[in-house]
Amino acid sequence: MRRLLKSREALVALLLALLIVATGLVNPNILKFQSLVEILNASLTLVLITLGEMFVILTRGIDVSVGAATGLAAVILGTTLNLGWPVALAVLAALATGILAGAVNAFGITVLRVPPIIMTLGTLGIYRGLMRIITGGSWIENLPQSIKEPNLWSFLGIPFFVWVTLFVLAATAWITLRYRPARYFYAVGDNEQGAYVLGLPVRATQFLAYTLAGLFAALAAVVYTSQIGFVSMNAADGYELKAIAANVLGGVSLTGGAGTPLGAAVGALFMTAVHSMLIFLGVPGIWDNAFAGVILLLVVYVDYRLRKALELQRRHARILGETGVSDG
Amino acid sequence: MARFFRSWEFALAVLLVLELLVLGMINPTFYNLENLLYSTLDFMHILFAALPLTLVIITAGIDISGVSIMGLASITLGLSWVAGVNVFVAAGIALLVGVLAGLFNGVFVAKTDVNPLVVTLGTLFMYAGLAQGLPSLLDLLGFKAYGSEGLAAYQYEGITGLPESFIALTEGTIGIVPYPLILVLLFALVLGLLLHRTRFGRYLYLIGVNPEAARYSGVPIVRALVLAYVLSGFGAALAGVMLTSYMTSARADLGGDALLPIITAVVLGGADILGGSGTILGTLLAGTLLGFLRQGLLAMGVTNDLIQVVVGGLLIAAMAAKQLVARLGERRLNRQALSGRRRG
Repeated sequence: MRRLLKSREALVALLLALLIVATGLVNPNILKFQSLVEILNASLTLVLITLGEMFVILTRGIDVSVGAATGLAAVILGTTLNLGWPVALAVLAALATGILAGAVNAFGITVLRVPPIIMTLGTLGIYRGLMRIITGGSWIENLPQSIKEPNLWSFLGIPFFVWVTLFVLAATAWITLRYRPARYFYAVGDNEQGAYVLGLPVRATQFLAYTLAGLFAALAAVVYTSQIGFVSMNAADGYELKAIAANVLGGVSLTGGAGTPLGAAVGALFMTAVHSMLIFLGVPGIWDNAFAGVILLLVVYVDYRLRKALELQRRHARILGETGVSDG
Repeated sequence: MARFFRSWEFALAVLLVLELLVLGMINPTFYNLENLLYSTLDFMHILFAALPLTLVIITAGIDISGVSIMGLASITLGLSWVAGVNVFVAAGIALLVGVLAGLFNGVFVAKTDVNPLVVTLGTLFMYAGLAQGLPSLLDLLGFKAYGSEGLAAYQYEGITGLPESFIALTEGTIGIVPYPLILVLLFALVLGLLLHRTRFGRYLYLIGVNPEAARYSGVPIVRALVLAYVLSGFGAALAGVMLTSYMTSARADLGGDALLPIITAVVLGGADILGGSGTILGTLLAGTLLGFLRQGLLAMGVTNDLIQVVVGGLLIAAMAAKQLVARLGERRLNRQALSGRRRG
């Protein structure tokens, strides 16, 4: 039980399951396989953005430009498709855009030494502005069927993009847990000076984290464009804040060095599931933001109290140990 | 005095004068003082929110919920007025809501070890959601009497038809100086005195530099932090009220795109995002500089989108330059220390 409470992923996943079941008591439709798949499908964009943001937060950074990077990549995808590029090439262009957007952030932060929040706040404005400059401010519509098609594919009743996202999540989880250099993200975030003294490539790790955030944002853009079928100028607006909230919810600490891909994904799923649950409960969509905010605050508060309680218990145990009184 | 001429605020002031000279050369309307003063109305809400945010950033904190508080204050004002409250009392209620919102932020930040960015991110969503949902919430609570569709009808189009006396709040002038500008300067003066002339102000710097040292030297950390966030909430609400008067309509989503310019103003004004430094004068000058830059670019026919790119680039360039100067200075000191040791 103690272990379970300590694991934020488990805590949040449990809370999510409870909320869905509670919603099911009011409206059983949410418990249908099709509804659950829909909830999953609707969360993909945020899950992907959140996974990218996770690398940045692990290194004790922050990236508030990921939503704008998603929007920019989606604009490049839509524009190149409408120019008649084949889907594969257009997707590659979108991914390259994301990587470039991330690398610009990385350059500013690791080479120019601009604080992350300032750098990415600046590029947030720049990428959003570029979106409108490229398109002249109008939406990108009439996208070819070839990009919308994959959204309709499914295997075992589960949509193609859910499989893709699950694969990306599994790969990310496997790499961060099993591939040694991936632990650098944790080391740099936990103790930058220590990592430097150990001879770890601190700057390169940070550079890679922001670039990965851009790549994942572009992946999200591909899924988003395929699902929605057009690109509006406020595509993925505000997703940067949702991605940060999802990470925090999933136990990725803003002080760096702690958190897992699975936790980040569960956090993102939670953020979007709130929206679906409210729909099933018949609550108007305008309450989404309020609930998302309240849940985020509640979870971090409960987490704070739990940490405090554990700390107290540990101190208590230490005092008992030091005075030689054993309660065994 | 020599120190003042080398300060960042002085550099900003010089930049501001240069900017106005250049803008005036391109477009002579900028040399018309009355026009110039009047155009500050377009960015006064940035200043109202950025000035007290400086205090929060000095403590190594941040408050990004201000943009939501603006909308919340605006819709509160509108709904109170629709419900029959005198419009100035309604404005007072809106300001009170801002203070309470700031109080919640402050208590949460001061009483827990949760990162201020996370706390105000949560309240950013919460206050925005509350502002959006408030009209239909009041409907649910039984305030059905006003209009056939209920208060929810105000959700998207906003509340218009506010009394002339309230609109005059931003239309009126003393001589050629618009009321809001006077209010901004007064607000800056009060905050400046608080920050630079009181013990509370010194506490804020100490908390930003070293919270442990502050705790051990008996600084009332909780009280100081809460007051800083309350002032930030109040400033955002004031921005919301003034913007409501200026736009002549109360809307829940007012000021939603102001986050980037607000933080840019504080950071460009010389406050360190990691805490411990920053001045009210710096924020005031940087906010004005940015505001006029925007006006000038708009007057030149530059689109809003490109301005966003320019402002973002400017923010990054300013920070990069500052970091470079700091690193060069450090290197020079190191070299001096080294050569001093050799001689000795």
